[in-house]
Amino acid sequence: MTVELRIILVIVSFATAALMLRRIRRSKVRIEDSVFWIVLSGVILLMSIFPQIADACAAALHVYDTANFLFLFFIFVLLVKLFTMSVHMSQLESKLERTVQAQALHAKEGEDETPRQDA
Amino acid sequence: MNTRRPLLIVPAYNEEATIAEVIQGIRREGFDYVVVNDGSTDATLSICREAGFNVIDLPVNLGLAGAFQTGMIYACRHGYDCAVQFDADKQHRPEYVSALVAAVADHDIVIGSRFVERKKPRTLRMAGSRLISFAIRLTTGRTLKDPTSGMRCFNRRMMELLAYGINVGPEPDTLAYLIRSAHARVCEVQVTVDERSAGKSYLNMKTSIAYMVRILLSVLLIQFFRKKLGAAEVRQGETGAAGESARTRRDAAGAATGAASGASAACAPAPTPTASAPAAHAPTAWTAGAAEDLAGREAL
Repeated sequence: MTVELRIILVIVSFATAALMLRRIRRSKVRIEDSVFWIVLSGVILLMSIFPQIADACAAALHVYDTANFLFLFFIFVLLVKLFTMSVHMSQLESKLERTVQAQALHAKEGEDETPRQDA
Repeated sequence: MNTRRPLLIVPAYNEEATIAEVIQGIRREGFDYVVVNDGSTDATLSICREAGFNVIDLPVNLGLAGAFQTGMIYACRHGYDCAVQFDADKQHRPEYVSALVAAVADHDIVIGSRFVERKKPRTLRMAGSRLISFAIRLTTGRTLKDPTSGMRCFNRRMMELLAYGINVGPEPDTLAYLIRSAHARVCEVQVTVDERSAGKSYLNMKTSIAYMVRILLSVLLIQFFRKKLGAAEVRQGETGAAGESARTRRDAAGAATGAASGASAACAPAPTPTASAPAAHAPTAWTAGAAEDLAGREAL
């Protein structure tokens, strides 16, 4: 791995972690949802400090260049993350639907219980 | 002098086998309670309604943190002085609640701990508990023997933070955050917890690892970047070494008059750090200023 690539990885690692931590500080993200990004930035940092890891993986998979392996690796990681996020969003939509329905029906039942004034 | 009105918050997800017994046990002890039905798919809700239990019905499943927070909002709105987290699976015993409530007079958080006087077993589950205890001690200086215990009592100040905050679920990392950032005074009281009699724990290998990663990351890294919550109601000078002597004097005075003798006997306060643990408990500008103020101030 070239020195330039390692420097880029270090910068990206710190930037990702910093952005996430700032969001958490401003109460815009739940900790459970930030864990993936913080762990990912840790992995990126690890790869930049120990380039032998990425070099070894690239060699094992017969990938021509370490940078190519990094592309592949991060694309797979993002693919998995996107998939789980789609599933999560689906579940959120369902929950939202149920909540809206419950709220509306509850309000309606409140109306119906009020005795009617006209004879 | 001070009759504390506790509310027992009982989050319940699919606990049809045990919920009736648990609530009847709580009623026998005479405590106020609220069941938070977390979108159960079994008969939990109908059992509660038929028996006339005080229940909040969540339309969807939010998980323990969401259900617990719902109970906290309810407790704040109804003017309770303190709130107790209580499980719906018959593992917690309501006889111990009085001891927790007595101890919360002098503390912000009281944990019903299995291991104050008894030793923690050397199992894999407890290895996780030890690791979390270690992480909390490292970052806050406080030793909590049972940080994952689900039986905790919170005073009014903590209740408001838990009801209206984000990322303040009923987990050990929240405890660490409250200790470090909100100057929460924590104490542990020995309790007995029964083994799970019905249903399955939701923790398997995968969820356990995910849980540990999240808690450790939160305690060891994330909490240092979170906002300080201030300590408006913490009495000046209660923190640090000067605070220790103030607290001892106050406790001794309390014991001498016989008031709350149950509290000082039962409560084993989490030991504060000695000078040999400097980095873990780095004083903030606030505490440094408070220590200076204490020099000319009467002990409370």
